[in-house]
Amino acid sequence: MRIQVNARNRGYDFDAQSGERVLYAGLRTGIDLPYECATGTCGTCKAKLVSGRVRDRWPGAPGRKFARQAGEFLMCQCEAEEELTLEVSKFVYPMEPGACVPQTCRGTVRSVRRLTHDVIAFALELERLRDFDAGQFALLAPEGIDGYRAYSMCNYERGGRSFDFVVKRKPDGAFSEWLFGADRDGARLEVFGPLGKATFEPGLGKNLLCIAGGSGIAGMMSILARADAADYFSRHKGYLFFGIRTMRDAFFLQELSNFKEANLAVTVALSEEEIPEKTKQDWPVLKFEKGLVHEVAKREMAGKYQNVRAYVAGPPPAVDAAIRVLLLDAKLTTDNIRYDKFS
Amino acid sequence: MAKRMVCRVSDIPENGLKECEAEGGLKLVVANAGGEFFGFQAICPHQEVPLCEGLFDGATLTCHMHLWQWDVRTGAPLGIAEAPLQRYPLEREGDALYLGGESTALDVGELFNGLAGATLEKLVSLAKKESHPAGALLYRPGDPAEDFFVLDSGRIEFLIGRGDRAAPGGFMLRKGEVFGWAALLEGYPARIASARCLEDASLLRINGKAALRVLESDPASGFVVMRRLAALIARYLATSGAK
Repeated sequence: MRIQVNARNRGYDFDAQSGERVLYAGLRTGIDLPYECATGTCGTCKAKLVSGRVRDRWPGAPGRKFARQAGEFLMCQCEAEEELTLEVSKFVYPMEPGACVPQTCRGTVRSVRRLTHDVIAFALELERLRDFDAGQFALLAPEGIDGYRAYSMCNYERGGRSFDFVVKRKPDGAFSEWLFGADRDGARLEVFGPLGKATFEPGLGKNLLCIAGGSGIAGMMSILARADAADYFSRHKGYLFFGIRTMRDAFFLQELSNFKEANLAVTVALSEEEIPEKTKQDWPVLKFEKGLVHEVAKREMAGKYQNVRAYVAGPPPAVDAAIRVLLLDAKLTTDNIRYDKFS
Repeated sequence: MAKRMVCRVSDIPENGLKECEAEGGLKLVVANAGGEFFGFQAICPHQEVPLCEGLFDGATLTCHMHLWQWDVRTGAPLGIAEAPLQRYPLEREGDALYLGGESTALDVGELFNGLAGATLEKLVSLAKKESHPAGALLYRPGDPAEDFFVLDSGRIEFLIGRGDRAAPGGFMLRKGEVFGWAALLEGYPARIASARCLEDASLLRINGKAALRVLESDPASGFVVMRRLAALIARYLATSGAK
């Protein structure tokens, strides 16, 4: 079905398949339609219907509160029922040459590992080779479960066949309950991606500051892997702050210890526990501090904000608190604060 | 018109923000920048977020949602922000702040915001105020490009090309947006698009040659305007790799 999008600067048209969300159809055509979470929460992909009919797959999506006027809808949740003309009140450009254009594909769940009592890691073996940028995410949908969930890849590989994920168990989270509910090795998933603009390229030439709450560490692992592979920390400094509640919630500490770069300082912030003596002995390369991750980062980073690009990920309140520190204390410019707010 | 009180000075915390409703019902966010007070539209021009929930350090106002930022003295966009804030001049009398009249589309606009007062006044004197009903055609391809327009209210839609080969060329909806800027360029004697009002619209029409003469008489302002015009054209014409 033909979809015509009138943006602030020009018009675009593209084809959507039956049952395909308008946003995903535009993105896979290489049109950089506005989005952030791509899963119904943020409201960024709001559009206005000029003509045609859409079917809303999730009328109760939280992001609908940003699309309350007549004719407004979320492109990430709606499918075209007939030819559409839409209006998007933003400047829209084609994706840049070399961008990793998102596509739908299928994958098989492999290497399922429990990392903690409520975190599982797995590799999604893709049926096709796919490129993505460090820090990007993808949308996952198991067969039989309606709707997509967004998770950041924690590996980095060009032309790879695997997207690696960590998933934290969430009460009532359909995807995490599915994953935790049974042995899913060999299960098939539909995946749409890669998505997200909180990406890192070694050409950046800035010191890296990564602040992650809980499973927000996933995208940071991808960024660190990309940086390490390019020998980035021989030229630039890196600071990673990883916030968890207690040592019971800790994972990836071995992977983080393995970087062993003198210029990369990894600090684990425990918000609900004094640092156990044994922990310090077990992980001599890592630093441990008591406190919320944004508070620990604020303390440790004082005076170190020269030429810094910051990446932030985690639960929305943690992301908001970290951004506040980066703007008001660090005085970073907004183009040097990268984050994807999806929960 | 009677003076419209906005709030008490003592309501606004030092280097803080507060949403206020002026008498007669206009909502605005008032910023206290070291004892100077600035009033702006209450809602972020990006995505219906109240700016009073934003971050403010006494100089820069940041919307917490997507980190658009503005200079609190002018409302000019900073960093990744794509639009200025509409400013409402405030007048102080004792402990009270009053609306000091609304800023004009030229003040707010992306090309002329913050220019030297005398130059801005000359431009204002060139501007003819026009109203057009929804559906009105302002110009079509091939028409002489003598005037440019500054949007005050309403929506304008552009179509590039002629007849059934015409393609959507975007639309304008913010007070202060400038269109028909071919009138400010050399070698562009004719329109290449049509411009139609999608809603009842109020505009300022300014003759391009006359505006250029004003800008030539104040080259510092003229340089600023031309830099902004170049940025504006790039923004509308940009395709990938050319942003």
